[in-house]
Amino acid sequence: MLDFQRYQLEFTAHIRDPKAHARPAKVKDARMAVYREIVFNNIFGSVSACFPVCQAVLGKRAWLALCKQFFAQHPASTPIFREIPQEFLKFIATAKYLPVYFQSLAHYEWVELAVNMQAIETPKVSKTLNLLHEIPVLAPAHRLLEYDFPVHKISAKFKPKSAEKTYLLVFRNAEFKVNFIELNPMTFQLLKLINEKKMTGEQALMRLTEELKHPNTDAVIAFGLGILQDLANQQAIIGSVKA
Amino acid sequence: MASLDAIRGVGLGLKRELIPQIQNLYSDSSISNINFVEIAPENWIGAGGKAAHDLAWFVERYPIVCHGLCLSLGGPDPLNVSFLKQVKTFLAQHEIPLYTEHLSYCSDIQHGKAGYLYDLLPIPFTEEAVKYVAARIRQTQDILGQKIAIENTSFYVAAPISSMSEIDFLNAVLSEADCNCHLDINNIYVNSVNFNFDAHEYLKQIPKEKIVYSHIAGHYQEAPDLLVDTHGADIIDPVWKLLESAYQLFGTFPTLLERDTNIPPLPKLLPELNKIATLQESC
Repeated sequence: MLDFQRYQLEFTAHIRDPKAHARPAKVKDARMAVYREIVFNNIFGSVSACFPVCQAVLGKRAWLALCKQFFAQHPASTPIFREIPQEFLKFIATAKYLPVYFQSLAHYEWVELAVNMQAIETPKVSKTLNLLHEIPVLAPAHRLLEYDFPVHKISAKFKPKSAEKTYLLVFRNAEFKVNFIELNPMTFQLLKLINEKKMTGEQALMRLTEELKHPNTDAVIAFGLGILQDLANQQAIIGSVKA
Repeated sequence: MASLDAIRGVGLGLKRELIPQIQNLYSDSSISNINFVEIAPENWIGAGGKAAHDLAWFVERYPIVCHGLCLSLGGPDPLNVSFLKQVKTFLAQHEIPLYTEHLSYCSDIQHGKAGYLYDLLPIPFTEEAVKYVAARIRQTQDILGQKIAIENTSFYVAAPISSMSEIDFLNAVLSEADCNCHLDINNIYVNSVNFNFDAHEYLKQIPKEKIVYSHIAGHYQEAPDLLVDTHGADIIDPVWKLLESAYQLFGTFPTLLERDTNIPPLPKLLPELNKIATLQESC
């Protein structure tokens, strides 16, 4: 390592964690203070903007302490600014003393940014929508999510104490707005079959009838079709393609 | 490939807040002095949705400059070549003729792992650092297949191990790296106050033939001897004088107004943009 690099590392070690690392020798503290503030505040602002609910459940002091720990300990590997929150997710996966639901909550808050900024082409769909005999197509920027906690209900006033399976569809509509829809377990399975196994609405609903051991296939298909139509009305399904 | 000649006159940093305002006033003569816009690749590479839609709108209508923040030319960790290749693709995709970066660093190594700090930190001004940074600039230019311009950066801490002045360091790097100069007028002024030197003497030593681009901005006065480069206020008179001197010394060059914090509505920025245009016409 070169001499000037040794100095650089002393400089950044102090900015990252002033209590653990003294500033470089013969450097004015009042001037180092500028870097201690602007560098941390920049990262703190970026993380806080993405995770308002995480901040609310921890409270201001604990949130600040967690962000300081993130900056002091986590080597962020991306030069892309909007990926800083993703670095924060990596960090909290290893952080201690956080509420049990915290990682799920942070992921849920990050998903809004991820879906909002996702670069993806819109696929071509058939001229007429046929949810039953073609494969329904979800909005291209989307996530089908399964959480162990009701992440969408968490707030400073509601902090879940026990696990509760929660299914969500997050998608970006044609006007670039990100929407969240809570799904029941059956709808979640239905969308998984359509989206991952590329099944038509009918094929997926017949598979579900078998899995549920439901006596009446027609009833399941009629019910499921209603759900798919409703998702299409909300722009979560943008069309259908031939199987 | 897009030509550097496309970047001329006056430009404005493309902040998200300003996008709809420029779009609304696009055909209005009041903003006719905006000749080009500047973006940070770190904000736009890989972006989809509304951001991609907006970028496409600007690419259709304005020449674009890429001004990078995270290449970390002076950083102790290896140059991020995969990121640089993304930049190269991005420049080609949007026909962006100019990519500039800071003469600074924004990354370090902790426990053997490289990490970003996302801010512009001061490189100590030493012979070793000149060689190191120049080699990384050459590596960058080799990968991109084009010259980059490096910006004189604002600083708050003087490294006690520095063995030369800032202007000597800048000139040594420009010469050793064979790159262009992105002259930041406000940064000269900020550093002249922070480190007590004569801004005009500094300016006179800039190699005219290397200047391809410039920035001007406002700053925040934290103490009589400490200015912070916030890009959050109006440009002050001594900085305007410095720009005028630069045009007189070197001829005019494309100049961009940076406004990154405390961003007013676009009409409030127009007088500064128009003033740059007026200075360019009169020099």
